[in-house]
Amino acid sequence: MGAKTEMRYGSLSRFFQAITGLLIIFFLGVHLFVAHINFGHPVAFFNSVLLQLRDPWWFAFFLIFVYVITYHGINGLKNLIDDTSISVRAKRRIGIILYIIYFITIIYGTILTILVVQIPVPS
Amino acid sequence: MVEANKEIKEGIWSWVKFLRKGIGYFAFALHRLTGIVILFYLYLHYTVLSNLLRGQASYNAIVRSITYGPYDSFLVLDFLLALVIFYHGANGVRLALNEFGIGLNHNKALFYTFEIIAMILLGIFDYYALQFVGVGF
Repeated sequence: MGAKTEMRYGSLSRFFQAITGLLIIFFLGVHLFVAHINFGHPVAFFNSVLLQLRDPWWFAFFLIFVYVITYHGINGLKNLIDDTSISVRAKRRIGIILYIIYFITIIYGTILTILVVQIPVPS
Repeated sequence: MVEANKEIKEGIWSWVKFLRKGIGYFAFALHRLTGIVILFYLYLHYTVLSNLLRGQASYNAIVRSITYGPYDSFLVLDFLLALVIFYHGANGVRLALNEFGIGLNHNKALFYTFEIIAMILLGIFDYYALQFVGVGF
């Protein structure tokens, strides 16, 4: 029963990894085009970032992007650690730490985005 | 079985020993190594974006310095990062399709197909991205 639950959980984790991976192809494609090609500079400068984030659609786009790509990265690292030869107990502990890091990152990302939107755009 | 036990003993060092293990193992090992590089870069990217709170002059100065770097050396790192991302993305699409039961019997062909498409897209991306940093062809 335990093994079955673990296997089902493992499959779900891999399924989410695949789904988020496919979503990142879309998000990263748009991000690379907008930030590295369309603006005429490889990295968006202060004003362009502020102006873009004021649009609620872009605001939502970047927040979801942060949630998805961070999950994919952290979950990927967790999968990678699960494949190593360290003890199950250590794997479980590292897994918990990684998910805490994930939640701290997305909370920080959300607060940062909200604070950046409130900065007045310099003329 | 003996080989599998040997790999467990070797741990992650077995990833870099992909010679003579075939293209499948090469794809697996490189996918993981590129994943670690991208995750490291992701947090570096968040750190740079945090500097938006320090104001226009500060943020723009940081962006300028990290875009070009000493003797434009960071452009080379950008190029390598793009290579890593496009490789990981292409192989990731193959793995995602596998997860949904697609292409399980054609892994090698799918690997080459997706990687060739990704490298063509990488060439197009690098061409346009480099135009805007003054390294025109």
